[in-house]
Amino acid sequence: MGRVTLEQILGKKLRLLLTSVAVVLGVAFIAGTLVLTDTLGSVFDNVFTTANNGVDAVVRAVQPFKASGRNQSSNDTRPPIPDSVLPVVRGTPGVARANGSLLRFALVQDRNGQAIQNQAPAFGLAWYPRGDNVGDALQLVSTYKGARAAQPSGADDVALDVTTADSGGFRIGDRVQISFANTPPRRFQLTGVFRFGGSDNALAGATLAAFTPATAQAVLNAPNQQGTWDELHVRATAGVSETQLRDRVNASLRRAGLRAQYEAITGTQAANEQSNNIKSNLSFFNTFLLVFALVALFVGAFIIYNTFSITVAQRVQELGLLRALGASERQVVGSVALEALVTGIVASLLGLGLGILLVTPLRGLLGAFGVKLPSGPLQVQARTIIVAFVAGTLVTLVAALAPARRAARVSPISAIRDQAVAPTSGRRRYIWGLGFTVVGVALLAVGLIGQGSNAALTVGAAAAVVFVGVAMLSPLIARPVAEVLTLPASWLHSVTGLLARENATRNPRRTASTAAALMIGLALVSLIAIFGASAKASFASAIDNQTRADFILSPKQFSPFSPGVAQAVRDGFARISRKPATVVEVRQGTGEVAGTVHAVSGLSPDFQAVVDVPVRGFDHAAFARGGVLVWKDASPLCGPSGHATCTTGTTLAMRFPIGGTVQLPVAGVVTDRKALPAQVDYMVSLTGWERHFTQTLDFFVVVLKPADVSTHQADAVVSSAARQFGGVNAQNKADFKNSHLAQFDQILGLVYVLLAFAVFIALIGIVNTLALSIYERTREIGLLRAVGMTRVQLRRMVRGEAVVVAVFGSLLGLVIGVGFGGAIVQAAHSQGIGLTIPVGQLAVFVILAGVAGLLAGWLPARRAAHLDVLQAIGTE
Amino acid sequence: MTTTRPPTQVAYAARAVDASKVYGSGEAAVRALDHVSVNFERRRYTAIMGPSGSGKSTLLHCLAGLDRVTSGRIFLGDFEISAASEKQLTLVRRNDIGFVFQSYNLIPTLNALENITLPMELARHKPDPAWLDTIIDTVRLRDRLSHRPNQLSGGQQQRVAVARALLSRPEVIFADEPTGNLDSKASTEILQFMRHAVNEFGQTIVMVTHDPNAAAYADRVVFLADGRTVDELVGPTEATVLDRMKRLGA
Repeated sequence: MGRVTLEQILGKKLRLLLTSVAVVLGVAFIAGTLVLTDTLGSVFDNVFTTANNGVDAVVRAVQPFKASGRNQSSNDTRPPIPDSVLPVVRGTPGVARANGSLLRFALVQDRNGQAIQNQAPAFGLAWYPRGDNVGDALQLVSTYKGARAAQPSGADDVALDVTTADSGGFRIGDRVQISFANTPPRRFQLTGVFRFGGSDNALAGATLAAFTPATAQAVLNAPNQQGTWDELHVRATAGVSETQLRDRVNASLRRAGLRAQYEAITGTQAANEQSNNIKSNLSFFNTFLLVFALVALFVGAFIIYNTFSITVAQRVQELGLLRALGASERQVVGSVALEALVTGIVASLLGLGLGILLVTPLRGLLGAFGVKLPSGPLQVQARTIIVAFVAGTLVTLVAALAPARRAARVSPISAIRDQAVAPTSGRRRYIWGLGFTVVGVALLAVGLIGQGSNAALTVGAAAAVVFVGVAMLSPLIARPVAEVLTLPASWLHSVTGLLARENATRNPRRTASTAAALMIGLALVSLIAIFGASAKASFASAIDNQTRADFILSPKQFSPFSPGVAQAVRDGFARISRKPATVVEVRQGTGEVAGTVHAVSGLSPDFQAVVDVPVRGFDHAAFARGGVLVWKDASPLCGPSGHATCTTGTTLAMRFPIGGTVQLPVAGVVTDRKALPAQVDYMVSLTGWERHFTQTLDFFVVVLKPADVSTHQADAVVSSAARQFGGVNAQNKADFKNSHLAQFDQILGLVYVLLAFAVFIALIGIVNTLALSIYERTREIGLLRAVGMTRVQLRRMVRGEAVVVAVFGSLLGLVIGVGFGGAIVQAAHSQGIGLTIPVGQLAVFVILAGVAGLLAGWLPARRAAHLDVLQAIGTE
Repeated sequence: MTTTRPPTQVAYAARAVDASKVYGSGEAAVRALDHVSVNFERRRYTAIMGPSGSGKSTLLHCLAGLDRVTSGRIFLGDFEISAASEKQLTLVRRNDIGFVFQSYNLIPTLNALENITLPMELARHKPDPAWLDTIIDTVRLRDRLSHRPNQLSGGQQQRVAVARALLSRPEVIFADEPTGNLDSKASTEILQFMRHAVNEFGQTIVMVTHDPNAAAYADRVVFLADGRTVDELVGPTEATVLDRMKRLGA
């Protein structure tokens, strides 16, 4: 029995291949994502192993609380460690050397004053002289462009990594302008260039500027943090292991009474932590891509189900014969399952191979949408292979289960009687479909009302269940919808159009499940369109109606910029006007309230001059002195008890990265935060921000020029400040709005491209179904040709059927997408997003789906048109 | 269209001139038609008979433009089918030829009326309503017009096929074993309709059959054996046909 099946499968290689394609793409997507993530992981592992080369132990401040969320570097919440700890560490037995390390924002400008910055961050660091250094990641290049190079030794010396020096067009001895987070920009003399762990490019594309330790402390630290380091690096004497060193240093810290504030870890652990930190930031991309891979696989499952249903229906006589010859029901199920298994394995194998080939384009795709990722040798781990095979095979087997069971119900009499498989009772199918749909909608409601990390998962599950439910119900409306869609054909009395409609509806279930695959793609596309349009409209409205600004400064690459920019703007206006300019800075940090980490916004005290953020009971003086504003729906965590509602005059206990827990006076309650860039519960004034946070960079600076300064003059002031620091966009309100809308579009574009995979798979499903249907109708096609249908008419008929199926699927998808999109946007109302339905765009999607259907019908239509008439008629 | 087809110089509706058809090549070559020359007169009902493998179906297919001869020429009226392009053949099939096959004659998604008018619709011609009525009444399908093929009996389906073939008043109707799958009552009906079409409407019909009873409805019977025309009989009866067949060793 098994051999009979295998021979049959191999006898129909084309069908096997076409069916596999549905799964191949999904598997390839999964495999490609995993390989990409693993490759990036290994790149970062290498980088941080190199960075910590020669470092046996790291001493750092104990983390006051764990930062959550993305874009939080590992040091974000750790206070700095002062010079005074160094003697304690150096005095520990087994310590050969110890010194301080800094890695902070330092932006190098090229010879034309343009900032040198890729997607990666820009860092400044301290470089110790040979014989005094602990880490040895930096290697001096002895000669650069013919000149002898040297390590920085004077206060005005700097060394750059080779790539940065190259892209700046520098030579040894050149003056290099560098700007910092907390100190004014300075010019340095380039004394040398270095390689990082043997590579020209450092830290996955970051730019590096190395100073003497004293200079590094002076320029990289904020004025109130002078004499501190991010962490201390320690090298052991010969014979002392990393763990021994760590334990001994911790013991000395304890003896000195510093153990509660500072801790030692091994160099290996430090490297792992840093790498994992980056990797957990990257895991967002991993999840993001895997979601689309799962969508592709889900769509593929529909196609597998459909293909097996059709082939079982077509093989009814053959299956009947097998039963007549004594095959048991189990053997018949087994034979279909075996076919699914072989299909699944072939698809997984092809998918794995394609996935590995897909890594580079995938990286390129993310790059094209602004996510630049470093490259390295591809990492194909056993886990990737196992996941690819399990996913591909399992999906195929599960999807083929129902058709296999239907095959088993074929009675032996079917061998001699030409009849279709008795379908399952329609009513049962529809009851199930209705059940699925209701459960899905209920899940959606649960996901949207309930908050928390599982909400996205619940909504995703709801969508999957609704898709299955609607797919089961949709045969009910296939015919009326097809009739409406083909109305133009009946107006034109086009018999080909009529036949296309009849063909599309003669087996409503087949049409419905073929359309379902496209429905999923279109539902997600329209959901994204609605979400995107709503977010864009809300953003535009917040800028247009609730923001007053002559200029807005924002980071070019998502990484925040020096507050020196804002100061430069103030200074610039002060030089040309007696009237003050309004310059509002916005920062982001984290603080802990009642044991939970919250994002905290920092705002200049006069922020209401530029944004309409109504505050109930606003005590301006209290805010300017370092008070906190609380969002009206924030949990009641105020007062001495910590459970009182936050109102002006109460206090809020907030723990900061530096300085521990502080009782902050509540200066007001925010009643509308739509105009703020981040929808956070707590806003503190920037007064004294440096006392609490290590992160002191600005995310936005909003500028209102003095009344007596012309727009042209103001533009010159702001642009010059931005240029001086680099990495900053200085735009007027309209440009800011448009460039941010363009960023929305870019992200939406990426999502559309990734969803295009699923749509493409769905189109393959249409090709597959049509090809099988045409095979089934060979005789009928011969007859049509015999009574005078031209090839052109025949092609038109097949393509018409494809279009009807495609448009049907896309309309179903549209309805689900609008429903889900509307519900999700409504639920996000508190995030300041109002519902906008992009009707024109959705209409375009349906038209595109129709065109895609036309293309999908092309090949089957061609095949049908080239059938030999006589042979076709002779086919039994 | 054939409604007022002008008389042509050619007296025959269809002709095969020295037609040969070879399947395969070399050792495996099978000569299905071997230099066949035969004429089919207008307004006549001609039956083609012969034992299995005699080439009768091949001859019909070649005459109808469904298959191409290896050598020789095929004419429909004065139009040479054997030299026509695929596109021309489609138009000829649509406008000048009617078909009745042994079984599976109808498109399952169309009802009886739609099946009858299908070739006209494909050609985007309006059927003459009076003529359509005449035909529907002739084949007695008036009360079955909105039924789909799976709601019709085999005999009714075949009547729809005959009506479809008659509607465009083609130069020739080719019928390939039209009664092969029918019981004797339904067979008789179909054969009477075709006879009626020749007598009353002046239709030309060429029919392949192996049933002497069916052949007896024809004006003339052409006998084939081993790919050649071996005999013919004008004004056949069931007995004379049977007698000839016996002599051919069928």
